[in-house]
Amino acid sequence: MAGVLSLIANPKERSEVTATTFDCLNRETALILFAVAEAVLGEGFLVKAPQFVETVDDYLNYQRPAQREQFRLALLITETTLPLTVGGMTTHFSHLSMADRRKILERLRSSSQEQRRNIYAALVNVSASTYYASELTWIDLDYKGVSVDHPEILTQPPPIPWRPDDPRPIED
Amino acid sequence: MAIIEGRNVTDDRTLTPDFCIIGSGAGGGVCALKLAEAGFDVLVLEEGPNIPKENGPAPGQKRKMLNEREVDMYKLLYQEGATRLTRNGGVKILQGRCLGGGTAVNWSACLPPRKETLHEWQKRGLPFTRENLEPYLREVVNYLPIVRNDKYNTSARKFMLGCAKHSIRHENLPNNTHECRECGSCGVGCPYDRKMSGFVKWLQDAVDLGATIYTDTKVDRLKASGDQITEVHAHFIDGKTRPTQRKLVVKPVKGIVMAAGAIGTPAILMRSDLDLDKRVGKFTHIHPVTITIGKYPESTFPAYGVPDNMWTPTFADGPTGYLIETGSFYPVLSASATLQHGDELHRIMRDYYPNGAISYAHHTTGFDPNEKYGTVKLDDNGDPELDYKIPKANVGPMQESIVMMTRIHLAAGATSVYVMRNPPLEVKQDTQFSEIRKIDFTQPQRATIFTVHVMGGCQMNKDNKRRCVNNDFTFSGKKNLWVADGSIFPTALGANPQVTIYSLALWAAREICEQNQATFQFKHQQGGDLPWPEY
Repeated sequence: MAGVLSLIANPKERSEVTATTFDCLNRETALILFAVAEAVLGEGFLVKAPQFVETVDDYLNYQRPAQREQFRLALLITETTLPLTVGGMTTHFSHLSMADRRKILERLRSSSQEQRRNIYAALVNVSASTYYASELTWIDLDYKGVSVDHPEILTQPPPIPWRPDDPRPIED
Repeated sequence: MAIIEGRNVTDDRTLTPDFCIIGSGAGGGVCALKLAEAGFDVLVLEEGPNIPKENGPAPGQKRKMLNEREVDMYKLLYQEGATRLTRNGGVKILQGRCLGGGTAVNWSACLPPRKETLHEWQKRGLPFTRENLEPYLREVVNYLPIVRNDKYNTSARKFMLGCAKHSIRHENLPNNTHECRECGSCGVGCPYDRKMSGFVKWLQDAVDLGATIYTDTKVDRLKASGDQITEVHAHFIDGKTRPTQRKLVVKPVKGIVMAAGAIGTPAILMRSDLDLDKRVGKFTHIHPVTITIGKYPESTFPAYGVPDNMWTPTFADGPTGYLIETGSFYPVLSASATLQHGDELHRIMRDYYPNGAISYAHHTTGFDPNEKYGTVKLDDNGDPELDYKIPKANVGPMQESIVMMTRIHLAAGATSVYVMRNPPLEVKQDTQFSEIRKIDFTQPQRATIFTVHVMGGCQMNKDNKRRCVNNDFTFSGKKNLWVADGSIFPTALGANPQVTIYSLALWAAREICEQNQATFQFKHQQGGDLPWPEY
């Protein structure tokens, strides 16, 4: 099935996708991934997650081959079989505006079909987790980072234990 | 002997140890040490990578390659880069895949087997009771050791406060940590060797006694002749889990111990045409996990502190009971569970991460004799996948566990509670509980469900239609093949399984020693009371 969909797919070229060699993706699926991630995360997401495509490509190595193929298929299905009609023309996912791509994500999320909800979960989970893996996003979360770089976290006094029979006042 | 990294092996090899142990997690580590202590030549095969002991940049850091960054660690330490799913996509399965297996990545919780579960197992013909398991439990408690760590992180403290306001009994949850640094990195491997995981304790001591461990070594199949297993066929894989083209054949003199876990062990047996008329892989169980994140007015630093040292046994009773525990949480793990996109995704992360406290519930399953539960199957490439649907009997308790955790958060001062439903639900008052009670967990992606405990699939049972493993831990019909991991459980345990697997693996090691005219010794029986409350 992936082979047939790949023949139909003609994802929008994006200059932001600069990777030239891949372990598991190819240029076509990398461009679809970018269009999906942009819809999930917003425009300019690469500013804070510059290695986004490379990280997803690397992680696919660790999946079993059948699961990896399912992910590639999910990208191709999203690109080619869930089009919106815009101005009388049927348009593939990566060529749609941000708002229209998000409409498709909503359709996937609320679908009564198990397969479509699974596609939504796969696309959203991969995009969100890869984005927030980047250190440049951590300041938005007030996440101080790992202790290797922030040993002062380790020297803060631990939270004070509280027990039901503890005479001290309850802390909020 | 040594730890040999299969990725660096440049020739095909044939080895002839006394025992070949497949898997280096809780069961494999115990058997490696006790068989090495008994004087046997022991070989351990581990599919995942080694975790070398070399000093890192942080003070006290002993494992340089464990850098605590989620993006680097999940692919290194977890099955399928922490993206393993059930066949229908409905449950995320987090399982270790590295030296030490699950013991390297768990949150260090140490609970004994639930008495009610052991009673059920006795009905199914298993020999274990809390009384006859006591020397094994005591050995584990004193050897690791298991201690009460009462430095509570914010999630634990909020939980204690909320429980107290509802008069819900809550208890310290013992850990296998020693002088913990409170970095909160148990789930991405402890680089300070403060968690007493397999590669710090059992495996290291086994290697010191002469055992050999091959990492990056994936077992393809066992070769049988009559009632004996004669060979183990494996191949080496590189750092990205790709075959290196180099092979390993093991011809064990005494036998093989399967300890590859409740998905790995059945998969290897099925690839070896040892499926016992398709009994292997059947009745596989998980603890489905429901999660809540409370949002509090102040910063909570949710990543830091011992993740799992507070719990309540109040709701644990019964065949579908649940344990509520507290934890730590990190940006990637959080983002992967939100089921959100667009501006709402970022709002949820910014609202709930810095001010969040987590509680989650492990749900007991597996007690209904008429339910099929899960089945481990092989895909077209021979890789395992778990076919599993949430049992209907668990749906109500899963809804109620979320309601209860939400009540506790709100009582502790949370301004709202994030429920990982699809679409997401933020609960601010009791009147919204009816929404929680509508969640259909049997449908994939109607809510985010995790599991970190997989059990069964190669069970011990008196019923011939279900039995794969005999009460002496031998695999049915094979005299020199033993199974010593969570796959022997006939039901889910209803508690974090690490200690139970350690204890049953000690029992298995004793059986193996006795069947091979060797001496099994308890060495750590001196100590005080076991650290657990009655439950």
